[in-house]
Amino acid sequence: MDWLSAMRLDALAAVDFHWLGLVLELMLMPLIAFVAGLGLVLMLRKIAARLQRRVGPPLLQPLWDIIKLHAKETQTSHGLIHEIGIVMAIGGYVAAVTLLPVPGMNGLAQQGGLIALLYMTMIPSLGLALGVGQCANPNGSIGISRALTAMLAYDVPMVIVIFGVAFHFGSLNLVHMIAAQQAGGVATWGMVQMPLLALAGLFALQGMLGKQPFEIYVAPAEIATGPMVEMGGKFLGGLFVMQCFQLYTGGALYVTLFLGGGEHWLTFLFKVFVVTAIPMTIAMVFPRYRTEDMVRLFWKWPTMIGLLGIAFVMN
Amino acid sequence: MATSPTTVVDQLLAGLHLPDGFDAVAGVIRESLAHVTNSAIWTRYGQQSLEWLIGMNPVDRLFMLSALTLLLMLLLGRLRSAGVLAVLLYGAQFAALLSTDTLFGAPVAAEVRITVADQSLHWSYDALSWFFAMITIGAAFVTAWYAAGSWMRRYREAGQSARAFHVALALNCFGMLLLVGSADLLSLFLGWELVSWASFLLMALVGGPGAQAALKYLAYAISGAMLLLGGIALIYSIGGSFEYGAVVAAIRGMTDVQVWTLLLLLGGGFAVKLGLLPFHLWQAAAYAEAPGAGSVFLGAISARMGLFGIIVFIVGMIGVSRLMTLEIPYTFMSSRELIAWIAALTIIVPTYTALQQHDARYLLAWHGIGQGGYMLLGLMVGDAVGSAGGLLHCFNYAITQAALLMAVFAVVHRTGTADLNQLGGLVTRMPLTFLVLLFGIISLAGLPPMAGFVSKWMVYRSLITEGMPLLFVAAVVGTLGTILSVYKLIHNIFLGQLRVEHQGVAEAPLSMLIPMLGLSALIFLAGFIPGPALSWVAQVQGQLGLPVVPWVLGGIVDPRGGLDMIWLVGILMAGFGVGALVFYGFGGRSRRVHQLDNYAGGHFLTADVHYQYSDNFYAGLMHLIGPWYRGAFRWLERSLAATLDLVSFGAEGLYRVAQPTLLMLAAAVAMLAWVF
Amino acid sequence: MTHIDQVPTPGAPLPVEIGVKAGAARTNPFARVFDELVRFAQSRSLFMLHYCTGCGAVELPPAMTSRFDMERLGIQPMVSPRQADILLITGYVSVKTLKRVILTYEQMNSPKYVIGICSCTVNGGMYWQSYATAKKLNDYMPVDIYIAGCMPRPEAVIEGLRGLIENIRTGRADAWKDYYRRYDYYLGNQQRLFGADWQTSTDVIAEARHYDLFGPATLGAHTALLEQHQRPLEALEMRIEIPELMRRRSRSDQDGTAQ
Repeated sequence: MDWLSAMRLDALAAVDFHWLGLVLELMLMPLIAFVAGLGLVLMLRKIAARLQRRVGPPLLQPLWDIIKLHAKETQTSHGLIHEIGIVMAIGGYVAAVTLLPVPGMNGLAQQGGLIALLYMTMIPSLGLALGVGQCANPNGSIGISRALTAMLAYDVPMVIVIFGVAFHFGSLNLVHMIAAQQAGGVATWGMVQMPLLALAGLFALQGMLGKQPFEIYVAPAEIATGPMVEMGGKFLGGLFVMQCFQLYTGGALYVTLFLGGGEHWLTFLFKVFVVTAIPMTIAMVFPRYRTEDMVRLFWKWPTMIGLLGIAFVMN
Repeated sequence: MATSPTTVVDQLLAGLHLPDGFDAVAGVIRESLAHVTNSAIWTRYGQQSLEWLIGMNPVDRLFMLSALTLLLMLLLGRLRSAGVLAVLLYGAQFAALLSTDTLFGAPVAAEVRITVADQSLHWSYDALSWFFAMITIGAAFVTAWYAAGSWMRRYREAGQSARAFHVALALNCFGMLLLVGSADLLSLFLGWELVSWASFLLMALVGGPGAQAALKYLAYAISGAMLLLGGIALIYSIGGSFEYGAVVAAIRGMTDVQVWTLLLLLGGGFAVKLGLLPFHLWQAAAYAEAPGAGSVFLGAISARMGLFGIIVFIVGMIGVSRLMTLEIPYTFMSSRELIAWIAALTIIVPTYTALQQHDARYLLAWHGIGQGGYMLLGLMVGDAVGSAGGLLHCFNYAITQAALLMAVFAVVHRTGTADLNQLGGLVTRMPLTFLVLLFGIISLAGLPPMAGFVSKWMVYRSLITEGMPLLFVAAVVGTLGTILSVYKLIHNIFLGQLRVEHQGVAEAPLSMLIPMLGLSALIFLAGFIPGPALSWVAQVQGQLGLPVVPWVLGGIVDPRGGLDMIWLVGILMAGFGVGALVFYGFGGRSRRVHQLDNYAGGHFLTADVHYQYSDNFYAGLMHLIGPWYRGAFRWLERSLAATLDLVSFGAEGLYRVAQPTLLMLAAAVAMLAWVF
Repeated sequence: MTHIDQVPTPGAPLPVEIGVKAGAARTNPFARVFDELVRFAQSRSLFMLHYCTGCGAVELPPAMTSRFDMERLGIQPMVSPRQADILLITGYVSVKTLKRVILTYEQMNSPKYVIGICSCTVNGGMYWQSYATAKKLNDYMPVDIYIAGCMPRPEAVIEGLRGLIENIRTGRADAWKDYYRRYDYYLGNQQRLFGADWQTSTDVIAEARHYDLFGPATLGAHTALLEQHQRPLEALEMRIEIPELMRRRSRSDQDGTAQ
């Protein structure tokens, strides 16, 4: 089977790093992302509480929730696809966070790139959609139909931003982007160079994180939390884990594109938390839009701002 | 040199350029062949005919085998085993194609020539022909396999003619092989007409709505052929020859106005077949209503013949750089941007039409039109990665669409309906078909790790690096629409509540499952290791004079951001592994419950009330974009048809009432004058 | 069809056994290793499904919002029974409502806790004389905590929840096991109220069997009555039935019998 061995060598030959280091990254990065994600969830709930003049949950509340859900003694499953869906939802984000360059761990990010990352984050949505579909609950299906519509809405400004950023840096490689931004300090940050795109990106981030006013697909009082309606126990726990990754991915991607990534972990995480706090704060003072209004909004303002931003970038 | 099957196999394997590790496999094949060659029948007849076949020109051999398939299907098509025979014959065609070795080797001209009125029609195979012929024969092969068993039995029981089906399929394949091998304008036109009529035959086989759609197709195809003929006449009037070499020279010498005319004529002709806007209306119904297996073949490759024409003439002969110099007066656009925008609209409009379909076959057929847009868009960008993406998408799309349509027709085979509002929950009854459809939709939507992602990624990347923001957004909007509509497809068929009447449904028959599963494996492999397919595409690019894509086994190497699918799939699988660990490793045992044990706000669910969300699936979105579907193209088509009706009505009145003989005479004289 | 009078009386109303340590071991390996941690997490993270049937519901908003803020105890409202740990019944339960309450309770994932708020859930309260109201909630499902009062103030609600938290942390809040172990008793009471053809779309007996939660009184006269008319509730298992392969197998089976 020298053909197979040749194949493996060929694949590895393109990599500068020792592959053991990459395997280490593969294990470490999701772990860090998860812990950071727990912090982000806590921050989300704390911000909500403080805005409502409440105390809010204790420090480890997100962790207790996940442990409790996984430790449920009876777990209701609607079939194999229901379970696979959760595995895909977590797995897709685990893959996505390993493709994000973070301080000191850029090896895997070299293999992906912006578009690959964007499409990798659609895998969890697909997995979740499949799992919810198997539940045979129309509330869940309605939720998914709305969530996919929301994706159609926020991805239009999102891809405009991605185009603009990729064109500006002349590369799809996230590591190159960070290097270019860190070369000249704050003046070369994407946010300073492309303020309009940064604004449109923030708008899209709000939709991507599924926070108010764009959380019609959850709509607890109307469709009983939509996709989560039949999710209990570790199924819901898996979705909580996914949420940690989702918040982290959104924040880290924005930091990578517009805030020059991180020189080291402290600044990186600080930026991620600050960026993620913005949509969370906005979310807590808004009710929600109906689906069609949300689509209209996304296709109008952030899209226009983004196109204007591209016009500046390309000239 | 004695020719025996063993030496043939050796030659074939040499032509495949397989790595050394396959020696063992070759040994097994040789051994099993030895059993055949030792038999008495073989020494009497087989050896002779084989030697004759071996001695032939490889392209002649391919045509020979294809014609033989057609002949045998015509003679033996009624036999029960004709399906198996057809599979073997298409396999032989595939082997013959590989033995031509025109992909990596030099082009091979066929010795078969036809001389008509001092013009000789001849054929030649090069890398481009090989690429399209490979998809064609592959599609015919899997289609024939799919149709060989249970499907054909059902088809016969419905009172349809198996022979007609086999002949139509063989004729399609034969026609396409002739078309992609054409080496001059006349053989091109001959192949074109053959393909058009053969696909009409396949569409119209079962009558009913299919025949209606086929007739509509015919109207389009004839007008397309007229445009093509006009283009050929134009080239001939300038260059004085039908040979491709002379054509290239003639085009180079043309003025801009002449190139514009040529572009409109040839482009229009090919656009009809490809289903580009605004000539896309015929395709969905014609492909969807064809008999199941026929629909698979048509959906996978038929429309790509239009793309083949565009590649040969517009990309190959006129060239993208020439297109860029052709400005449209009073606008900032060049003809290249015009075509690119037509391609982008072809992505968006049919994709969002697909979103509204509630028949699985129509949904896929509409997507087929939309995906054609990606191929053309990639080719129009014209850089190394973009054009490679466009070409690669032909292959990736073909395997994807074939698998998808097979899965849908397997569901039709079992449940009798493709209506998305009449199905649901079939994943527990047809899990393998579900898997095939799942692989297919991931690929069609262009998500990793399937094949479709690679080619779409290449198109996106080229649009970014070449700085085409609006086209990029249009392409992504098409992809998002695809994700929406394919989720609806898989949800409404396989997920949700299983209907009472489908409780006893069984998995698809084995004869249909094997090609389906084979194709899904191919979809995954072509996504995991895109290198081989990229190597074919690189050869095609080299032959067309396009910049060649810098490919490696895992994808593309590029300093501005490459793609390595082996890594990407590895990371994704590792992610799934972590996900499975989190889900299965930590946490209580789960228990599967009945589908009626479900949250309904405290309501007691019963089997007689269907608890499923399927109709008007994207209600919220349709609130907004629903009014945008104005059917403008249908309106245009209807008004054209009405005008034609009126004209023909008037002409008929003239013939019948006012001096019929005189008019007939005048028409005859005019025709003779035109001919001579 | 069995008439309602023919449903056997399910014996004397038994006391709810709060605080009795579970006989069966935890089925969850994760839980077995980190039992203490898990119990703590369970006590600090409670998702609450409030089934607001009566006037007591009005006391919940202040308990949840800025005045008292349940979230600092890790308690937050949830929407569907699958997600919830606590079923909060806030007032009288009419017969018609009780059916839904029972279905909701059975659809929740264990460990699950029931809290009855207001006097009506304790003994019918001011609806004691009503023909259409279930008097005692714990006849039909095991109740962990009653918060009496008409209506109890938010402080009382919080106090009750704190009591539940303490019970969970010390492993005494396992009334939910009682529903599996003495299902016949609860089912009997339900049948006496709703009629002999009473059935929810959940399969409690199969669940008890699956999770090894069977007790001596899981089955009895009433479950026998249920089985007489029970609609099948087996999960739709995924099956790959390729006809060609099936036929070949059955043919070989026949060959086997012929020999």
